[in-house]
Order: sequence, then C-alpha cells, then structure tokens
Amino acid sequence: MIGFIGKLLIDVAFLCAILSAVGYFLYSQKDEERYFRISNWLFGIQGLLLLAAGGLLLYLVLTHQFNYYYVFEYTSRDLQFKYLISAFWGGQEGSFMLWMLLATVVSFGLMKWTRKPYRGPVLFFMALSQIFLFTMIAGIHLGDFTLGASPFRSLADAMPNAPFLQANPNFVPQDGKGLNDLLKSPWMVIHPPILFFGFSMMTVPYCFAMAALWKRKYNEWIDPVLPWTLGANIALLTAIFLGGYWAYVTLSFGGYWAWDPVENAAFVPWLLGTAGIHMMVVQRKKSAPSKASIFFAILAYIGIVYETFLTRSGILADSSVHSFVDLGLYGQLVVFMAVISIIGLGMFIYRYKDMPEQKDRLSLMSREFMTFSGAMVLFLIGLIIALGTSSPIIGRLFVDNPTPPEVSFYNSWTMPLAMIAALLTVLGQYIFWKRQDPESLARELTWPVAATCVISLATIMIGGIHNIYYMLYILTAWFALIGNGVIMVRLAMKNPKVIGGALTHVGFGILLLGILASSAYNSNLLDQATKSYNQAIDQGKVTDDQGFKKTQKVNFLELKLNQPKIINNKYKVTYEGYTLKNQARPGQQQYRIKFEPADGEGEQFVMNPQVYPMLSASTSQNIQWSVDPDVRSGLFSDIYMYVSGSSYVERKNNELKKQNKRAKTQPASATQADTSKTQKIKLNKGQTASVADFNIHFLDYSPVDSSNLQDSTIVAVRAKLEVTPRGSDTSTRIDPLFSVYNKDGENWSYAPPVQIPGHEGGSIQFSSVDPSSGQIELTIRGVDKKVKDQWVLLVAQEKPFISIVWLGTFILMAGFSVSIFRHWDRERKKS
Amino acid sequence: MKPKLILGIVAIVGFTSLLMYNFGNSISTYTNFKKASNMESAHVVGTWEKSKDYGFSMKTKQFTFYMKDQDGNIRRVIYPKQKPNNFEQAKRLVVIGKMQNGVFYANDMLMKCPSKYNSVDTSQFKKNNATKS
Repeated sequence: MIGFIGKLLIDVAFLCAILSAVGYFLYSQKDEERYFRISNWLFGIQGLLLLAAGGLLLYLVLTHQFNYYYVFEYTSRDLQFKYLISAFWGGQEGSFMLWMLLATVVSFGLMKWTRKPYRGPVLFFMALSQIFLFTMIAGIHLGDFTLGASPFRSLADAMPNAPFLQANPNFVPQDGKGLNDLLKSPWMVIHPPILFFGFSMMTVPYCFAMAALWKRKYNEWIDPVLPWTLGANIALLTAIFLGGYWAYVTLSFGGYWAWDPVENAAFVPWLLGTAGIHMMVVQRKKSAPSKASIFFAILAYIGIVYETFLTRSGILADSSVHSFVDLGLYGQLVVFMAVISIIGLGMFIYRYKDMPEQKDRLSLMSREFMTFSGAMVLFLIGLIIALGTSSPIIGRLFVDNPTPPEVSFYNSWTMPLAMIAALLTVLGQYIFWKRQDPESLARELTWPVAATCVISLATIMIGGIHNIYYMLYILTAWFALIGNGVIMVRLAMKNPKVIGGALTHVGFGILLLGILASSAYNSNLLDQATKSYNQAIDQGKVTDDQGFKKTQKVNFLELKLNQPKIINNKYKVTYEGYTLKNQARPGQQQYRIKFEPADGEGEQFVMNPQVYPMLSASTSQNIQWSVDPDVRSGLFSDIYMYVSGSSYVERKNNELKKQNKRAKTQPASATQADTSKTQKIKLNKGQTASVADFNIHFLDYSPVDSSNLQDSTIVAVRAKLEVTPRGSDTSTRIDPLFSVYNKDGENWSYAPPVQIPGHEGGSIQFSSVDPSSGQIELTIRGVDKKVKDQWVLLVAQEKPFISIVWLGTFILMAGFSVSIFRHWDRERKKS
Repeated sequence: MKPKLILGIVAIVGFTSLLMYNFGNSISTYTNFKKASNMESAHVVGTWEKSKDYGFSMKTKQFTFYMKDQDGNIRRVIYPKQKPNNFEQAKRLVVIGKMQNGVFYANDMLMKCPSKYNSVDTSQFKKNNATKS
C-alpha cells in the first residue's frame, strides 16, 4: 500500500515537473506573468510531493519493511538511527531523490532571486533537468520497458527470479542486507547531501548560460550566476574533501586520493566549474561578454551528467572500487547526457556568430589573456582526468578489453599543468588588479621571486629533495603561495572584501606543496632487517629457490608481544596487546601499539588500530575481517597504520576451520578433546604457566560446597585459575574441581575437565594435587603443546605534511566563500 | 591572424596526439597467463582455484594462491600483501603484475565481489533484465 502511494506521489510529481517545464517555456516565449506563477506553483507542488515520497521511503526504512527492495538492500535492524537516515541516500534510487530534492530547493532560490529576462529560461532548464532525474526513479512500466528504478518497488518486483521468492511470493525477509561497515562513518552520512547540493547548484550556470543564449543577452547573466557557481564549487570541494578524508582514515589503501573514477566524478566538474568562474570573473570586470564563460558553464554541467553516467551505468564496474551496479538505467543516462549536451552545445554553436566579437586584440599582458590561459589549463586538467576515467569507453580505440590507465598517466599529465597553473595565478593576479607592462611587472615581482627562490632552496635542502622535477614543482608552488600572499596583503589593507581570489590562489599553492610532500615522500615504517632485505631486492641480490631474482619488497612491520623494535632510529615500537572491551563493533579487537622515542627523550604515544568482523559479509562458517586504521595526525607528519594480521585473528580463523571440519565429519564426538594434544603442567600458588596462546595463573584454592558432592568424598578442593589469552586484557576465572571419594573400599578421583573459555575444544582438568607442597597438576587437552608467539603484523607509514593538504583545502574553501559573500552582497543590493 | 591560427591548430593537434599516445600506452588489455609472460605489467582476469593450497605465510610475508584465468590456465600467484578481506567471496579476480618463471607476481589485486557496496546480486539482475527484454 505504502509502495503504491509512494509510486503515485512520484508519478504525480513527475507530471507536475513536466507541466511546469511547459509553463516555463511558454513564459519564456510569451512573457506572461501567469505562466510563471502557475509553473512556480506546479514546481512547488512537485517539490512537496517529492518530499512526501521521501518521507514515505524514510518511514519504510525506519520501520524495517524488508518486503521493499530498497529497505532490504541497504538497511538492517541493527543499524543506528543516523545510518538508517543516511540509508535514504545510500542506494542509487534514494540518492537520485536526494539530488532532486536539493535541486528543488535551489530552484526555489532561483524563483525568488532571478530577474527578468533570465528567470523563465533558467527555470525551464532546471525543470528539464528535474524531468530527466525523474525518469531515473519513476518506475513506470511501458510495455516491456521500465522507465527508471522506483525506490518503492517490492522485492518481488526487483528480483522475480530469486528462488526464495518463487517458492513463496509473499516472503518477507527477517532482516535486510545492511550497510557496508566501511560506510558506517559520520563522514559518509554528510558527504552525499553536500555532493548532491553541489550537483544541483552546478546546474544553475548551465541554465543561465542557456538563458543567455536563448534571450541573446550575453553579458548580464554573469552577476547573478557567480554566487551560484561559487557555491557549487564550495559544495563539490567540501564533498571531495570529505570523501578523501574518509578514505584516508577508514580505508586501508593509505591515502586520500587514488584517481578512482568516483573521486574523479566530482573533481572534473569542479575543475570545469572553476574554469568557468575564472572566465565569469574576468567578464564581469571588463563588462564585455565572453563566449568562454558560456562554454564552460555548459561544460561543467555536462561534466556532472557524464560522470553520473560513468558511475551509475555500471560501465566502470571493473575499474572502480565503488561504482554503482547497473539498475538498467544505462539507456536513460545516455539520453540524459545526449540531450543536455546537444541542447547546450547546439545552442552555443547556433548563437556563436551572434555573440559579440572580442573588440580589442588580446595582448599577452592583459588580464583577459592571463585568466583565459588559467581557465584553459584547468579545462585541460579536467579533460585529461575525464579521458582517463573514460578508459572503458575510449580505451577501446586502442585495445579490446581496456584496463584503467596507470596512475602515472594522471600524475605525469596533471603535475606539469598544475605547475603552469601555479605560475599563471601570480601573473594573473598582478595584472588583474593593475594594468602592467612587462617592465613594471618585473619590478613588482622582484621581491616575491627572490623570496620564492630563498624559501624553495631552504625547502629543498631541509627536505633533502634530489629530484629536479620536484624542485621545479616546489619553486612554482612557493611562487604561487608567496606571490598571491603579497597581493592578498595589499588588497586586504585597502578592501578586505576583494581578497577572495588571492586567498584561493594562496590555498592552491599550499595544496600543491602538501600534495607533493604527502604523496612522494611517505615512507613505510620498517625494522632494520626488513629494510636491508628491501635494499637487497633493489640491488637485485635476492633470489628464490630456483635462482630467479625476487622483485617484491616486504612492507610489513611484524611485532611480537612486548618485544620492542627500533624503527628508523627514531621510534621504539612495542606491541602491548589488544582489548575486546568497550568496542563499537561486536567482536572488534583494538590493538595497543606503543611508540617511544628511540633515544628516550621526548613524548611517547599509543596507537590503536582495530580489526573487526564484517557483519554484512561474515557467516558462521567464515569471518570476514575488516580493518579500521589509526591515524596520528601531527603538524609535520602523520603516522598511519592498520593491522594486517595478528595471532588473535589467526587463532579465531583456525578455531572456525576446526569447528567446520568437526561439524562435517563426526558431529557426535564434537565435545571430545583431541587426545594427541594432552599435556600436564604443575603450578604452585601464585605461579603462571604459558600454554599455547594462554596464560594460566593459579590464584588460590577455594572451598568446595560439599552438598553437591558424593557422600563418600574424602577430599575435595577447587583451584582458582585465571585464564588469559596472552596479549589480551581480559581474563576468565575457572574453578576446576579435584576430589577423591571412596567406593567399594577403593579411592577414586573425580575431576571433571572444564572448558577453556574462548577456546573451542580445549579443556583443563585439575588432575592431581601434591598435599605436601600444595602444588597442583593440571591436565590440558585439545591445545597445542607449543607455547605460541603472540604477534601483530602492521602496515605502518609515516606521511609528511598531510596537514598541509587539509590546510590548503580549507584555504581554498575560505577563498571561495569570501568571493561568494562579495558577489552575493552586490546582487542583493541590486534586487 | 593566419600564422597564429596555424600555430594554434598545430599546438592543439600536437597536444592531443601526445595525450592520446600516452593514454594508449598507459592502458592495457585484460589478458591471460600465457600472454602475460612477455608483458611488464599485465592485468590477468580469472577465478580463485579453490582445490589448491592458499594462504599467507608469516615467514615470507606473502599471500600465495592459485588462479585459473579465463582460458583455463592455472598458475601460482604471489601477492606481497595480506590476503584481502573479501578474497573468498570474490567471483572474479584481477591480478596486476608480471609473470616470472611460471609464477605470477602480483603487485595489485582487484576483487569483483557479488556484493559490492552491498548491492544487488548482479546475476539475479541479469536474469531479470533478460526475461523482461
């Protein structure tokens, strides 16, 4: 029933969106106010219906109605409230709805603030984009074809061939599949809404550009569009930052950026949007129209739709760690992209002749030329990344079954372009604010250049940088930072409102420095032996059994319990054990890795990487372990580590394997201990013995409640034992009994074995006691005789200046924000 | 204007061809073990051969297993990292590295899992779509 209502709401909203688009079109053509009013109402109703549908979906999620596919697929009963909420945008269908809701909010803003003659066409294109998004979630059956995947479809609708549904069509699963543990992060709760807010706002420049072309008013659209474009940029940047930060602290690939298609999907539109902003700013300054700003405004939105297509059509399924599966939206996404591109670029070409020509010739020293060059560089970077991301499609030109490009493709192309961009930011800013000829520019730049050289040299020397390419890169990055810094200070003294651009460019310089330091200079924390081994590999001295050269290095740090290792002559690192207490996830171990300064001077700290069973993927036969890295952030460097393996995990896996085997072969004897593994140990009071993975500590004797014993019992005593898995801080008390009773004139002993806590199949029997010395004898069965090492296998890295990457990003955001306020302020005064 | 235009076109054509040339070089094709033996960095697609031993050795710090490529060739694969979390669940493996003496040394490994991001069992979906279309 709710499903039906939900579908109905979406269908009616869809209809409203179509009608409002028609209304906006008529308004744009005939300029009659009533069309505008009616369309606004229709679009508003569309928003309300969509909101109601969203509320219904949320209700289904919160009430765990697993007969709905979406609820079954993305949630489960054990999810916390915040993750149930975020499940709304956890799947493809819901995230489209979120995108549309936010686009509706943006449209309300446009209705309120956009002036004539643009508002009709602008809202028409907003509605058009909304219509396309509706087709993704409509779920309307047209014969054999289904238009979009409805979030309200039932399990039976979604997978009619599933065996459990064929057996019983009304089957409702007890629980859903749940949310991937890796996504259970507060960062991932807020990341998608911000991203889709960015997507919605990035639609606005496209709409305005189309409005400008439609109404043939090529200049005045710049003022209202700037704040929107800047807003879209900040939103995308924030989303990218959140994604990168999440990846860094949650995933185990050890970085914030991996050129993954999903990351690129947000980055390319950001670059195109930023290119657009540059052209808009210079157009506004000159108050003469420019074709480039229209072009980039169109392109930025095409970029968004194209990357949406790449990530959601299933085309990247092989090359990305996290792209969506195909929901049968491939065709619709292609149509969406084609229509947006053909209308956009078609209009652009159609009006190309009509757009005014550049009047004065572009000179090399003009701010137009400099800014245009900057925008072109951003555009090229975007193009290259888009090309790399498109490898499953464009790669077919070269090979049959293309793989994604090597990471070096992205790096080797973007790095020189970023260096050029860094130089251009300074030249551009110096020319932007004051007309310059080469001589005056050279004069003004003398000091910044001198300072850049000195500081770069210092950086190169202190950092021990030997790569000439990196040296040049550092030079350009410092130049961007210092050159723009000088401008910024000068501007701030006159009018602090206008420093947005300079501040952004300062952030860019800082970001460049941070990116190089954190990616090219991160090093694995290894002990001396491993280092020597890796050196030998480098020199080609290591061979395998057959005399072939080995080429793979070892990047693990293995630590034995309480046996410190000296790392890099800097740290003394000790594995101090693990705990299972107070953990956020069931079955999670938190390890204690202590870092002390190697020379004894200075601060010591403990890192706590975690390992946990991934609930969504584990079964009773097989545990899927997942890791949660720990990052210790510092001003100069971060230490990043995760646990790649441990004796605890190995023991658990082995126990499970044994259990499975026993369950298969001889279920009857499951409780019987393996007799080949029997050992006897003797303990005095207060003593501790190590057995396999355990320590057994003999505390004391304890009195025996004789009422439970046979009448003929002569002696009865219990031993208070404390059993601790070595390395763990949790111990369990057991009190095995030893008794002697008399039967038919003979003495018999009665000493039942007690199961070792947390050790399937192992038992301890209090088998004898020496009355004179008080020494007890324990018989231990089902446990390996050898005392086992307790160890942890770490991947640990030192990453310099990640903090600088974050700082650069924040300054970029701050710079864009300052610009928003400036342009928004001006806009508000006008209206 | 003319020389400028020509210069511009030359620049664009030069840049584009260099870019495409480099792009073409940096991608390769998914291949099998036999063809991989004369490649520096090969992407081999296949499935885990469950009948043979596998596991991570604490001594060599390597994860070893056998993989059957799409043409049925079975080779030993050595991966210098821990066994990936979802290794056993993976329907398909992509190993990236090079062949040496009949052993594939993988520097990277991708797993194609039935439940990526806990999403649908794609096989069910394919069936579904097939019946509809």
